[in-house]
Amino acid sequence: MSTTNPQSDAPLDDAGTPVGRARARRRSKHRRRLANAAGLMASLLMTGALYSVFAPAQAAVETTSESAAEAAGRELYERSCISCHGENLEGVPNRGPSLIGVGEASVYFQVHTGRMPLVRQEADAPDKPVVFSDEEIDQLMAYVQANGGGPTLPSGDLRDGELAEGGELFRLNCSSCHNFVGEGGALSSGKAAPSLESSTDLEIYTAMLTGPENMPVFGDNQLTPDEKRSIIAYIQTVQGMADPGGAGIGRMGPVAEGLVIWVVGISALMFGIFWMGSKA
Amino acid sequence: MTTHDTRPGSTGGEDTPGPLYGGPDEDYTPERLAGMSREDLDRLGARYDGVEILHVDPGPEPGSRLEKRAVRQVGLAFTLAGVFAFLFLVVYAGSGWFLPEWNWAEEGTTWSALFTPLLGLFMGLSLTMVGVGLVLFTKKLLPHETAVQDKHDGSHFDRVTTGATLVGGLHSTGLARRKLITRSLGFMGAAVGVMLLAPLGGLIKNPNTGNPLGRTSWAEGVRLLRDDGSPIRPGDQEPGSLETVFPEVPGGNLQSDAATMLIRLRPEQVLQDEPREGQADFSYGDYVAYSKICTHAGCPVSLYEQETGRILCPCHQSQFAVTQGAKPIFGPATRSLPQLPITVDDEGYFVARSDYIEAVGPTYWNRERI
Amino acid sequence: MAATATAPGAPTSRLGKTATEFDDRLIVAGPVRRTLNKVFPDHWSFLLGEIALYCFVILLLSGTYLTFFFDATMNEVVYDGSYDPLRGTEMSGAYASALNLSFDVRGGLFMRQLHHWSALLFVASIVVHLLRIFFTGAFRRPRETNWLLGVVMLVLALLMGVTGYTLPDDLLSGTGLRIISAILLSIPVIGTWAHFAVFNGDFVGTEIIGRFYIAHVLILPAILLALIAAHLLILVKQKHTQFPGPGRTEHNVVGNRLFPTFAAKATGLLFIVFGACAALAGLVQINPVWLWGPYNPAQVSAASQPDWYILFLDGSTRIFPAWDINLPGDYTIPALFWPTVVIAGAMFTLLALYPMIERKLSGDTASHHLLQRPRDVPVRTSLGVMGLTFYFVLAISGGNDVIADKFDISLNAMTWFGRIGVIVLPAIAYVFTYRICLGLQQHDREVLEHGIETGVIRRLPNGEFIEVHQPLGPVDEHGHGQLAYGGAPVPKRMNHVGGSRRAIRGFFSPIEEPSAVELEQRREGRGLSASESDRELTSSGRPSEGGRPSEGGRPQDPRD
Repeated sequence: MSTTNPQSDAPLDDAGTPVGRARARRRSKHRRRLANAAGLMASLLMTGALYSVFAPAQAAVETTSESAAEAAGRELYERSCISCHGENLEGVPNRGPSLIGVGEASVYFQVHTGRMPLVRQEADAPDKPVVFSDEEIDQLMAYVQANGGGPTLPSGDLRDGELAEGGELFRLNCSSCHNFVGEGGALSSGKAAPSLESSTDLEIYTAMLTGPENMPVFGDNQLTPDEKRSIIAYIQTVQGMADPGGAGIGRMGPVAEGLVIWVVGISALMFGIFWMGSKA
Repeated sequence: MTTHDTRPGSTGGEDTPGPLYGGPDEDYTPERLAGMSREDLDRLGARYDGVEILHVDPGPEPGSRLEKRAVRQVGLAFTLAGVFAFLFLVVYAGSGWFLPEWNWAEEGTTWSALFTPLLGLFMGLSLTMVGVGLVLFTKKLLPHETAVQDKHDGSHFDRVTTGATLVGGLHSTGLARRKLITRSLGFMGAAVGVMLLAPLGGLIKNPNTGNPLGRTSWAEGVRLLRDDGSPIRPGDQEPGSLETVFPEVPGGNLQSDAATMLIRLRPEQVLQDEPREGQADFSYGDYVAYSKICTHAGCPVSLYEQETGRILCPCHQSQFAVTQGAKPIFGPATRSLPQLPITVDDEGYFVARSDYIEAVGPTYWNRERI
Repeated sequence: MAATATAPGAPTSRLGKTATEFDDRLIVAGPVRRTLNKVFPDHWSFLLGEIALYCFVILLLSGTYLTFFFDATMNEVVYDGSYDPLRGTEMSGAYASALNLSFDVRGGLFMRQLHHWSALLFVASIVVHLLRIFFTGAFRRPRETNWLLGVVMLVLALLMGVTGYTLPDDLLSGTGLRIISAILLSIPVIGTWAHFAVFNGDFVGTEIIGRFYIAHVLILPAILLALIAAHLLILVKQKHTQFPGPGRTEHNVVGNRLFPTFAAKATGLLFIVFGACAALAGLVQINPVWLWGPYNPAQVSAASQPDWYILFLDGSTRIFPAWDINLPGDYTIPALFWPTVVIAGAMFTLLALYPMIERKLSGDTASHHLLQRPRDVPVRTSLGVMGLTFYFVLAISGGNDVIADKFDISLNAMTWFGRIGVIVLPAIAYVFTYRICLGLQQHDREVLEHGIETGVIRRLPNGEFIEVHQPLGPVDEHGHGQLAYGGAPVPKRMNHVGGSRRAIRGFFSPIEEPSAVELEQRREGRGLSASESDRELTSSGRPSEGGRPSEGGRPQDPRD
């Protein structure tokens, strides 16, 4: 089983108030100050507790043999990630969440979509051009996986599923935020669910598995790997499908259609009747 | 177009028109009309209809360069219209015959994705060309005439005479005096009207019978099922996850008011959780279950932001805070999402402890009383 | 050609004989002549209503086609058609037949899209037509009845749209239906009863698609058809309005006779509208129901919106604050009631009653057949723009999630923009429009008094530089024009008064001799080189003869 064990990571997250602080950070402004003060107090206490719990454990991990990839990953981590996620993946208050237990799947998603490393703190992390090479991503994944465990990458054909079932699951679980065909949509207070237009199979899979940022987690006991593959098969089929009825106008539905009828339809006809009314 | 008035009886014979017969046929005998040119007849008829032709700008001179050019343009437009119509037919009938199949198989072929656009393109162009040809013809080849037509206000004569007829007719019925008839008429009208409308009563159904609005299929011991019908154990979901669950009754996953969100809170959210008063024990561990049906307009609210713990409704953007008993914190919704009390049965699967303790879905007039 | 028949007036040609036979039986020659001779004023804005009429024709034709294939049932079936991603999915029969129509009927998708696009265009052209009527004052006595009919038809068109939108039973329309259900429920006192009567029970039941279907294809179109007939009959009876201009009075109509000019143009427009709809129907995909999926009450998509004409109601619902009113006795007036039923009701009532309101407030009860320029009625124009702004903010709010997503704005900020904007912006729009109207009025008067700015700068002997103005008519001893404003456009550039000769015709190469054109223009007294002629102008600021002032003449030096 590649999933995290809820029993084992629960105490970790209990102590992991940095996540709580990350949450506070994303709150609306008028709450921020209050949250910051409270968060600071809590974080001081919790970081201390966390450190006492994990420092020895971390040391124990380090004493075991570290592969070359992990070592390279550590180096990359210390160069690019450490300022927000802390020296031992424990996270930094008000900056970045703990990476203990997030697993390589999460690293893959965050880094491969260019969301990490973050440029600045915003409502949510935008996808950007990828910073690291595939090899470097592998090294980072190895490092994070070795130091805390968590969901791992799947293997095999990620579209090996049932198209219609995938569609049904997509509409039940995904379309509420990502729109009917994965065009993305707005969330509260400036956050947004991204478009899945350019997402790769593995990105979609790891996103479901790890629930990045505000996306709910779909663990393997909730959506089985087969169901995830069905969903990916559906998304990618529909995304890649031509539009039988002409220009897709973003597959956005009525807003785009309304724009077209006014900007194209009415304008063309207005032009037409101007021309008809003009003198020869 | 004819300008002749050839009413039966006006061409002679034994059957002579009555004394009241008149009109233009008396002023203009057939002989007189026969002596007029077509143009004069046209103008005469127009004048008779209150239309004066002020000015005619004749079209381009016959044989002139301007005319030839305009004729060419109009002819081209009509020809193109025909050509495009023909192309439409070729695409429509030819697909699957000498052209590739139009059907949408698998992910579609190039031709099946082109079929509808080509139909639209050719029909659009063809019809537009017909229209363009007609307009060009009107603008460039037809004489431009400026005509004036008189506008008459209502005629006093008509009003007075019509009024007299109406009042006279009404007077001869004597309804003003024969009160019994007017009264019985009124009664009859009302009763017959209601009678004719009465069958619409078949539409009326009592919304309070069996309280369908205030109840759902959830009840004590009813399992929480996924869409595919499988039950759920507390270990199945990760913290920060949401599953849409349905009651374990036949057709439960199609019931419009039963859909429920089973949310596993993140550990720090469990600490912050402030359930509604008296509903502290509705949750099970770090699991909470809220109705998925928005209390505003009934859309499924499932845009769950697991970090902020907000649920957003995609229809009108109401936002609910999961850690505050799904209280609305933004947007038009006024009530919290109802919470489903849950627990785990002997086999370790989630079950409801009872139905929702309040009506789910949009607010209505007597909701609080149900 | 004059008739040279032996028997006077007897037709000689075969066509003429047939026509006589025909008229012997039906006696239609008189009415037909009256119809053919009917004069229609010629202005582009008078064609807007026609666009709506032709859209309705297209809707009837394409809609009839769709009924051959659509099956308005809510029975569950398992889809087994050509569209792979849904094969094997359970769905209602209505949705399955909409899919079959799109994928398994030759040309069916085209017809579906034709129907939907022309529906959008139908409502859009009604709105534009209504705006034209409103801003030019064409609704004034005696045309209040037709205005009322128009507003009722607009509402019917919206109802047609809503019921039609619901029919395919896809996930988008189902979400809309869910909101319709909630709106019905929100009506105080009778809400639940109304809902149970319409839906035959709790949402969603098994009846509603069938009921909406019969309303959409029979009841509403029949009423609409009857109202269109009444609308047109009244129009014919009352005759068309016209803009003020030379020779145009309250007691006549100046324009073209129905036959052949107007008929040819109108038929041309019918084809152009049909062509535009057909082109859109093929080239731009609309309502791809196969992407939306079948309706399921537990499913939803981000950015679920109604078609554009209902967007304003969705918008008002989105920005309305969470104000449930709790009454004693545990009764509630839901917040949803206000932005939907009340706002829509108030908007359409106000719209319908506007002619009466204006008549009451202005005290103008006279009959009017001449139209007004919007600038000449600043209050009405400003009120109209104010209403439009209100509507526009609501419509924007109806799509605020899409705007938030595409332009990376906070959704909550968009909601607040709507809440504040819907109150503030209409007021600002009123003030701005009022100022603009007054400014335009003033400029008209100024041109009438001082003449057109020619752009010619002269230096006076005392060294002063002045711009030469071309008066539009006779001037008094101070050089001030004596023309009064007559409600018609005032020429504001020299070209408008024939200050330059017309362009030589021909797009790629000239098809006229330039010298011939020059001569013709000179003959007509156009162009700067033509000598100044005596002018006789009507009170409207235009010459009494011919359409355009053609007495450009040389610019005169101002005398004051």
